[in-house]
Order: sequence, then structure tokens, then C-alpha cells
Amino acid sequence: MRGDRLMRDSRVLVIGAGLAGLAAAVEIAGAGLPVLVVDQAQAPGGAVHRQPLPGVRSIASGMQRRRWTRLMAQINAQAERIEIRCNTRFGGMDYTGDALLTGDGRALMQPRALVLATGARERVQPRPGWTLPCVTTAGAIQAELKTTAHPPYGRVLLAGSGPLLLAVAAELVRLGRAPVAVIEAGHPFSHPLSALRLPASYLIEAAGYLLRVKAAGVPVLTGAHVLAITPSADGLVVRVNTPRGDRSFGADRIGLHDGIAPNDAGLPVDGPVPVLRLGDCREALGARAALADGRAGGGRLAAQLLGRAAPDPSADLDLQRQAQRRLGAIYAHDGLTRLSDLPSDTVLCRCENRTLADLRALGSNPGARGLRLDGRFGMGPCQGRFCAEWVGRLSTPAGLPLPHIGSNRWPSRPIPISDLVDPSAEGLEP
Amino acid sequence: MIAQVFWNGRPVPFCEGETLGSALTRAGISDLGRAPTGQARAVFCGIGQCQGCLVRVGTRLTEACLLPCVDGLQAEPDAGGQTDA
Amino acid sequence: MSDRLDHDVIIAGAGVVGAAIAWHLARAGVRVAIIDATGPAAAASGASDGAVSVASKKPGVMARLASASLIYTHDLAAQGPLQAAFAARPAHIFGSGAAELAAMDTLAAKLNHLSGRVRVVADGGPDLLSGLGTGVDRLMTLEGEGHMPGHKAVRAYLAAPGITCIWPAPLLGYEVADGFVTVRLADRTLRAGQLVLALGVSSPDLIPGLPIVPRAGQLIVTDRGPVGALSGSLTAAAYLVAKTQDGAALPLLPVVIDPLTSGQYLIGSTREDHGDPTRVDFATLRRLLTRAATVWPALRDRRVIRTFAGVRAAVSDSLPIVGPLPGADRVTIVTGFEGDGICLSALIGREVARMLCGLSPDAALAADLAALSPVRFSKNRIEGAA
Repeated sequence: MRGDRLMRDSRVLVIGAGLAGLAAAVEIAGAGLPVLVVDQAQAPGGAVHRQPLPGVRSIASGMQRRRWTRLMAQINAQAERIEIRCNTRFGGMDYTGDALLTGDGRALMQPRALVLATGARERVQPRPGWTLPCVTTAGAIQAELKTTAHPPYGRVLLAGSGPLLLAVAAELVRLGRAPVAVIEAGHPFSHPLSALRLPASYLIEAAGYLLRVKAAGVPVLTGAHVLAITPSADGLVVRVNTPRGDRSFGADRIGLHDGIAPNDAGLPVDGPVPVLRLGDCREALGARAALADGRAGGGRLAAQLLGRAAPDPSADLDLQRQAQRRLGAIYAHDGLTRLSDLPSDTVLCRCENRTLADLRALGSNPGARGLRLDGRFGMGPCQGRFCAEWVGRLSTPAGLPLPHIGSNRWPSRPIPISDLVDPSAEGLEP
Repeated sequence: MIAQVFWNGRPVPFCEGETLGSALTRAGISDLGRAPTGQARAVFCGIGQCQGCLVRVGTRLTEACLLPCVDGLQAEPDAGGQTDA
Repeated sequence: MSDRLDHDVIIAGAGVVGAAIAWHLARAGVRVAIIDATGPAAAASGASDGAVSVASKKPGVMARLASASLIYTHDLAAQGPLQAAFAARPAHIFGSGAAELAAMDTLAAKLNHLSGRVRVVADGGPDLLSGLGTGVDRLMTLEGEGHMPGHKAVRAYLAAPGITCIWPAPLLGYEVADGFVTVRLADRTLRAGQLVLALGVSSPDLIPGLPIVPRAGQLIVTDRGPVGALSGSLTAAAYLVAKTQDGAALPLLPVVIDPLTSGQYLIGSTREDHGDPTRVDFATLRRLLTRAATVWPALRDRRVIRTFAGVRAAVSDSLPIVGPLPGADRVTIVTGFEGDGICLSALIGREVARMLCGLSPDAALAADLAALSPVRFSKNRIEGAA
């Protein structure tokens, strides 16, 4: 069937030039193996260390800048073994071990091993109006701030749950665009004792954000939920349910965020060569854990490939895991139970424009196949990243395992057909 | 000379290294047309995961939030989406 | 039938053929249950291209049965269960080079001989279809064929009243004794007057020796685009001979471009001798897409959002197996459609239901249906549990 087998490449392919991917690259290259790191963004950094555009002043903290400078110095020390290609997308790896890259670094190659360090995705619960223009993830606002150091136009409102909301709010204050409100579903300030058991670095960071936001007079509503976002003559109107009754806010830009989860849709689980997931793409524990996991995983992979005894079996992530658990408890809220109270015309699947009513029409417990084939949930180009979790919860009776409606096979992202078929001049031939 | 891209023929300035999604957002352009499903096209995740900000460049659909701006780039809403029932 | 029975008939396998049998039995007042290891359309039916095509059938038995099934499918769509599942649409066949042009001549002669619902409405150069790219010497457009996604057909058939659906429930075994069949599931046993095994590629699990092998086909789904740019399926003439020849010997790649009602394209398909639905590879799909995008350049602007492999149940003599299982009274086997199940399901559903009710088959089809009987493998000693 296949007359066009590829030569095995001597390089380890690392997907994602964030903390985990680069830390792994340093370890693998340090063991003497060549590494190709690709990233879909214009520059390395990932979500945490997203770099400012040329000429733009970084808004990163001193601690963040020091961490990044250190890591890049380690990369540069191994420059002859590490190649970083940006603006390059990973289409997937098939069962034969062929990996497809498109964009600037386009290639069809057979890497010696595959390291997946694609980071996290933001969880965003469906809400009426969450598909309107100017409603984005809070992470999208943060990415804009990091690259351009320009706050978004007009009145910004942040809503959902988790430490990121206050972090973005604090950045906005610092850039002179205090948000009109932060709508937090949890009650993070009602657990001072639990909070004190967080690692000191978490506490110092969070306290700094909170002080800055409060000092700017930004209302931080806790135990509060966005009921609906509607367009108005001058922007958007956000209706918010608070423990003291409903309120409305006008806004021009809304950032939603309900936590993070591994960004692992369409990624291979295994293959004919070693496949390793590292950092938030394996377990969403944040930046500190990603760096440690990347280092340990890179070292482990290098030892495996060179037939050496494995070093320390894995990074000690227990501290970060514990911290994430405590954060989860501090921010605990009943938002998930509100899913089933959403108006029936609320869009669940953004790609295929499928609503809660469409989901209910499938009957009780339709299962993964029914959800996909009959409901078309998880069938759009985002590969279920933004609907699978909620559709799974809403369609499954309590106590039963959630159906897996996302994809675990390539493509991990849509692949333009012209990228697949274009001739050798474009570099796809071995 | 200011480097610029064109959105539906309208000039939009950009900074070196900026993505189309970022340049459009800074120019106050958030409505990127409609998908064939009727859903609004707009930046949502901003980092290439959600497929919400697809725009047409030449004959190709591409994520505005990942596309690097180059001087003279012409982008427009997905015509396929506008003509659909 | 007797009250000692849970059901008059149990059908194992909720693919399109099992579902069609269930619908016809229920309509005849038979108490029918359908069981499946996974759920409706979980195997080949749910991973098919949905073509209801007479053109692609080998001349002879299969072409005649497909032609009759297509006519009946139109009936069931006009006023019956397939209203929302089946859509009539043109079928375009293209060819390049001597081998494909010869296959198109054979096709024209076959359709003429069948004098069924499918007829050639245009036959000429590539200018007959606007939007066509390069690499086409001849284009033929047929009228009368259609499209029916397998999962939609299954859902439509099983929505009828009187069908008991049981899943997930793998069939662990069965015994025939004392005038009924006992069917063993993980959590219970059921008694029925008759058992139909419509298990596709899993059939040999219950009937060892059955000459069925898996034949996988890789498929691609694109993102959405404008609806209606292509009026019907666009099939390489190589596809017409792919089922009767070794695929590797074909001069050109057999590719089918299927425009879906969503504005997506479904592009297929290979024929590979294995049964692993996860085996999808860039090199193969790249070759399929290269021919597809040359012939239909609009594909270049689309993006691949999903790939998968369907696994067809192929029989050593390329004919399905339909009929009473030798040596196992009360057990009927229906399998081996190798991708033709969508097209043949309506007719086979009706005829198997008649068979189970003790009625003789449609006289015009009797000889062709008899050719599908499993007795032709009796010397292989396939037999059911007695």
C-alpha cells in the first residue's frame, strides 16, 4: 500500500515551546540527542511566557523574567542540538510514526520520539451570549496584554472562576484600564485558613493582585454568576446573579474563564516511537509543575532512547498537585450544577452551533456515539475542546463515567488540504 | 510608511510580529463574519484552539489569531459562510 | 408465536442491515428485539460513505439486487421510514486513461442492461461539470442514485414502534433446542423463535469458519463550506473495478468525493486487508487527496477535520451471505456486504423478513437471493451451534 516510506529522522520532535517543551528539549539535547521544537505561535514562550512584540515592554514580573532568561540561556547553550521552529503547527502523528508539520516548518517526518507539550486549554462554561463577538476567554485578554502591552478597548469585565481572573484584572489596572467588575463564582476570600496552607509564592502573587485590584476600586463580586450576555446599543450588557440579587453591567469586552485543563485533543496516546506528554498537556498543574515535569520527562526520555538507566523516575509534583487541590477547594462553587438550568437555546457546541435543546433531544444517556453521530457534538473543527466536558456532564446520569466525545486521533487541528497535497517543492517529501 | 493589512479592503495598521487577530482587535474590529452554521466568527480563545476566528486569505481559511501580519495582507470574512442557508 | 418466548425474533447486530430487517418484521407485527455489543451503527454502517450506488456494483447478481434495492429505497424515502435519511442526487463518474474509460463503457452497458432507476443523463468531456479540474478525460453523470448516511438510516428504521432495542449487550452465545433459540447476554438469557446474526465483520466470532475477512477503508471529512458547489458524488472510474481487482493493480487511485448536506466533503476510500479502524496514515490519505484535489480543485480550500477507517466485512467470493445457517435450525445469517450494506439494506431487510415469516421471495429476485445462501460454503463446514 505504501511505497513512500520515510527515513527515520534522528531528531526528537517536541510540540510546544513553552516551559515543559523547552525544559524537555534542554534535557534531551544535554544527553547528546538532536531536538526539533515547534510552536504554532510567532515566538517561543507558551501561554505563561508569551513574549512581547519587538519594541514592546514586557509586562512579566521579575520572577517570570528571571525564569525565562535562565531557560533560554540553557537552550542557547545547546544551540547546535536544538532547533526551534515557530509559526509551525502539528497536524498529528499517524500509526506508522509519520508526523505532519504545516506552516513555516512544514514537513512530513518520522521523529525518533515525540514529546507533546501543548499546554492547557481554558475551560469556559457555556452561558447565554458567550458566542458574541467581544466575548473571549480571559486568557485571550492576557495574551493581548503580554504581546502588545495595550489594554483592550473600552470597559472590560472578567467573569468565571479561578486565580487567573484576578491576575488579569491586576494587569489591566496596571495598564490603566481597571475592569468594571470581576465576577467570581467561588468564595475565595472566605477560606483564609486554607489559603494560608498554599505555598508562599502563590500567596504573595495572589495578595499582590488582590491589593492592586481593590486599590483601584474594582468591584470583586464573589459567589456571583453571569446569567446572560446580550448586545446593546453601546456594547454588551452582562446580567449577573449575586448572593444579594441580580445586577447588570455594561461592557465592551468580556473575558471568561473557568479554570484550565490539558490541551490534548487529537494527540496520539502512543505510537511506533516513544510518545510522552509533559506539563499542562498531561496534567494541568500550572507553570511551576510544567517546568519540573518537562525536565524530568526529558531526562527520562533521553535515558530510554540511549539505553541508559532512567534517572529519577519523575518530577515530584505532589506539592503542586496539593496546591492545585487547595486552590480548587478555595474556589469551589456550584457553577456546574447551574449548567442544567441554562436556557434551552444556550449554545453548547460553538463549532456546530448546537444548543442545550439539541442535546436534550437525544434522550437520556445517548453515549459518545449518539452525541457525535446524531447530536454532532464534538464533531466540529475545535475537536471538542470547548464543548466535550459540558456536553458529557449534561448528557450523563450522575455516577456514570463521562463519555469521551473529543478526538484522540489526528488531526489534532484542522489541516488545510493544500498543505497535505502540495508538491515536494514545499518540503513535504522526505 | 506605516505597515498595514487590509480587512475587507479597510486598512488596519499592525506592529512587527503581530497576528492578524491582535491587529484587528486593537483596531476595534471584533465581528469577523459568520460561519456556515450561522455562528458569529470572532476571536475567542486567542491562541489557535477554538477555530472561532477563521478568516479568508486568498482562497484559504485560516485562524486570525495565529496568522502573522505582513504588509499588504488582504483578509476578509468567509464568503462561504455568508452565502449559506 | 408462543408466550414462552421473550421475542419472536432477535436480531444480533444494529447495523443498517439488522435495522432494516427489524423494521420490516415490526411492520409485519412480529415481536422483534435488536441487540448490539455497542449500539446503533457502531461499526461499518456508522463509518461508511453512505453511497446508495448501483454503478459501483459488479455486473450480475450484485448489480441486479442493488438496482432493485435502490428502487425500493426510493419508495421507503417517498413514504416510509427513510424520508429523512435518503436523498436522491446525481452521481458523477470520471475517468482518465484507457483502463478507466473502458470501465465507464462497461458501466454504461451494465446500466442499460439493468434498465432500472439509474440512467446515464450525460456522457462526454470534462466541460460537462463546472468546477472540474484537470486529469479528467471523460465525465458521465447518472440520475437515480442517492446518499444515505448509515447512522441516519439505522436511527430511522429503529424509530418505528414495536422494536425492542438492547445495548450495549454483546451476544455471548446461543443454543437451539426444543423449538426455540436461547440467546445468552452478559446479564440475562432471552428466548426467541428465530435468531438473525447480522454481525458484519464480527460474524466469524459466532460462526467459526465463515469466510469473512475485514477490509478497512480510510476516509477523510473536511470542514464546512458553501453547500451545493458539487451536485452529487464524484467517483473515479477506478472505483468501479476496485472491488473486483487487486487495488494495487489499478492504474489510478479509486477515490470518491462526496458532498455532504452540511457543506462538508467526505473523501474515501482505500481497501486494505486488515480490521483496525485506527489505522489511518498521512501518506495514504495524501495520495487520495492529491487525486481528489486535482479533479475537484475546490477541495484545496477545505481543511481536514476528521479521519477514520471503516471496516467492511468482505467474503471470499465477493458476494454477501444471506440465508438460513446450515445445520442450525432457526438461525439466519446476514453478513458480508463489504461496503454495499447501505445500498442493499432496504431490499435485504424486506426479503429476510419475508423469509423469517415463511413467505417466498420476490419471484424476480429469487435466483439472485438464492446465490447469497450460505449453503455455498457448506463444504467449509461452517455451522452454527446446534
